[in-house]
Amino acid sequence: MKKTLVLLSAALLAVGSLAGGALAAETLKVGVQAPITGSYANEGQGIDNGVKLLAEQINAAGGVMGRQIEVITCDDQGTAMAAAICAKDLVNKGVSMVIGSYTSTCAEAAQKTYFNAGVLQTSDGTADSLTEKGYWTFLRNSFPNSAEAEFVANYLVNVKKYQRIVVLSDFSTYADGLANATEAAIKKLGGNVVSRDKIKADSQNFTPVLTNIKSKNPDAIFSAGYYSDGGLLRAQQVALGIKADFYGGDANDNPDFVKLAGSAAEGAFIINVPEPAALPYDIAKSFIADYQKKYGEMPPSIWGLMNIDGMRAIIHAMEQNKSFDTKKAADYLQNLKEPLPGITGPIAFAKDGNRKGGAYVVKKIQADGSYFNEYVQ
Amino acid sequence: MDIFLQQLANGLTIGSMFALVALGYTMVYGVMRLINFAHGDMVAASAFVGLTIYTQVMGQATSLGAVIAIFLLSAGSMAVVGVILERVAYRPLREAPRLSAVVSALGASLVIQNGIMLIWGPRMKIFPELVPPLSWDLGGVVISLIQVIILALSLVLMLALYFFVEKTRMGAAIRASSIDQDAARLMGINVNSIIALIFVIGSSLGAVGGLFIGLYYRGITFNMGWQYGLYAFVAAIMGGIGNIPGAMLGGMVLGLFNAFIAGYVSSTWADAFTFILLIVILIVRPTGILGERVAEKV
Repeated sequence: MKKTLVLLSAALLAVGSLAGGALAAETLKVGVQAPITGSYANEGQGIDNGVKLLAEQINAAGGVMGRQIEVITCDDQGTAMAAAICAKDLVNKGVSMVIGSYTSTCAEAAQKTYFNAGVLQTSDGTADSLTEKGYWTFLRNSFPNSAEAEFVANYLVNVKKYQRIVVLSDFSTYADGLANATEAAIKKLGGNVVSRDKIKADSQNFTPVLTNIKSKNPDAIFSAGYYSDGGLLRAQQVALGIKADFYGGDANDNPDFVKLAGSAAEGAFIINVPEPAALPYDIAKSFIADYQKKYGEMPPSIWGLMNIDGMRAIIHAMEQNKSFDTKKAADYLQNLKEPLPGITGPIAFAKDGNRKGGAYVVKKIQADGSYFNEYVQ
Repeated sequence: MDIFLQQLANGLTIGSMFALVALGYTMVYGVMRLINFAHGDMVAASAFVGLTIYTQVMGQATSLGAVIAIFLLSAGSMAVVGVILERVAYRPLREAPRLSAVVSALGASLVIQNGIMLIWGPRMKIFPELVPPLSWDLGGVVISLIQVIILALSLVLMLALYFFVEKTRMGAAIRASSIDQDAARLMGINVNSIIALIFVIGSSLGAVGGLFIGLYYRGITFNMGWQYGLYAFVAAIMGGIGNIPGAMLGGMVLGLFNAFIAGYVSSTWADAFTFILLIVILIVRPTGILGERVAEKV
């Protein structure tokens, strides 16, 4: 009896290790943590679609050092709570890198879990706090808030010479951080911030706050929040007869902003890096063409493409190192001599995981909803 | 001063939307002693139904006739959904303990919410600009056409409902059923049809509220019903749940209070103060502002 038990368990062990070994050798697991549902679903699905397309292309070309990429998607719904659960789930499933999330709040909630597990994370979250923790696992594929804040402040104060500026945000890590940094940068340049207001994301009714802003008689409003609120803010601003120029931060750069604002969209400004269609790089043109062919639409914004660039950089690093070791890949990317060519421009990372560089554009929305580049950095 | 009047206009607009939705809660509670938690999601569903009617049935026509047709068709479809909801989720539990019915209501809420997500998708949908974006500046107070329409139509609907309930035989039957269902049945009132009628009225008023949300705010999401439902529920309790003029008053009070807190204190605190107001009202007048002291049936 005892003997059979020992034999049985030995057999089980052998089967188990065989199965485990076989699985680990077969695929390179890539996690996607993105808001597939909820207010930012548009962006989250863009990230997920992009990752799946890139994985398909790499797999068709033979995979990464012989391994096929397996994409595992987890929906963080744009909330910190779901993001923390996603992080545990993806780590348990054995991913070696995670692409996402779209919002800084969700990227931040998941950061520590990935760091503890040694899983690389690349996110377009722009909050400065993301790279201030010293996690080697975090690689930001967008440019940090502080870079945008300085550009916005300079543009509003020195280029347009506004006298009475309002800075608005919601309570998220990203928007609050961007608004605070912008307010500080404006003050540093000697500009006049007449009001720094906060709205509750998704609450839809912003007229009470805007009515207060109206009484301050501003000539410019900078909204650091997301497009789902920004479009409504713009519509309600115009409905209330506030004559100030409206500037939306980078997260307003989404087709839904124009749809939400309706006829009020015309004349609003959006500040961001160039949109996907305007990217001059060959690699961008071919990837976007493939994306359109597969999904029948343009990528929702540049954010999804930034995440794709993060994933491409990590895979490139693994191939160069001839190793799936995540620490080695991070070291490689933080010590690049030459920037890698990316869909969204040259990619190189600083020692703290920040993406180097950053070029912003002020886009004016035309009557037909298209952008006109008013000012290019 | 113009801030005060502007906030008043803002508060009345949003308050009338709360009031329309609150009527659905209060009428169902009045007759069935049940909080219909699915009502908020019905409101959200109506906005999506209205959008589909606009794109599929009306062929994106924006004439006045088309807009009226969208309102009537959406209200009609939601009335049908409301009756089905009552038949499937509430009638089988009418004799069951109250807790079972509440759980069933929460379940129905989730079913409707996820149903919206599965049919129309998780992304935010954008409502068309059906009302021309006109506005008038009256000495510093800006009022838009859509605000005027929301206020006027809400008032007409609420007055019509008030007279229907107070002055007609059907209304008398509703009031009788809400006081004592058994006695009402002995008087020859078909309580089942009265309850169905309540769901027809409540759901169609909620549908109008949902369309207003779509027209006024433009962006609609599958999970927005929870937020509006919660506010309307608070409005119904504030006014005295089960009391129809109370729901109207509660909605208006809530809308104005919210606008003034956001305007004069801070929008950050608007929600917190709303619930503090609710607690204070419940401590001072447990039955709500207009609620009557009715002995609980044992």
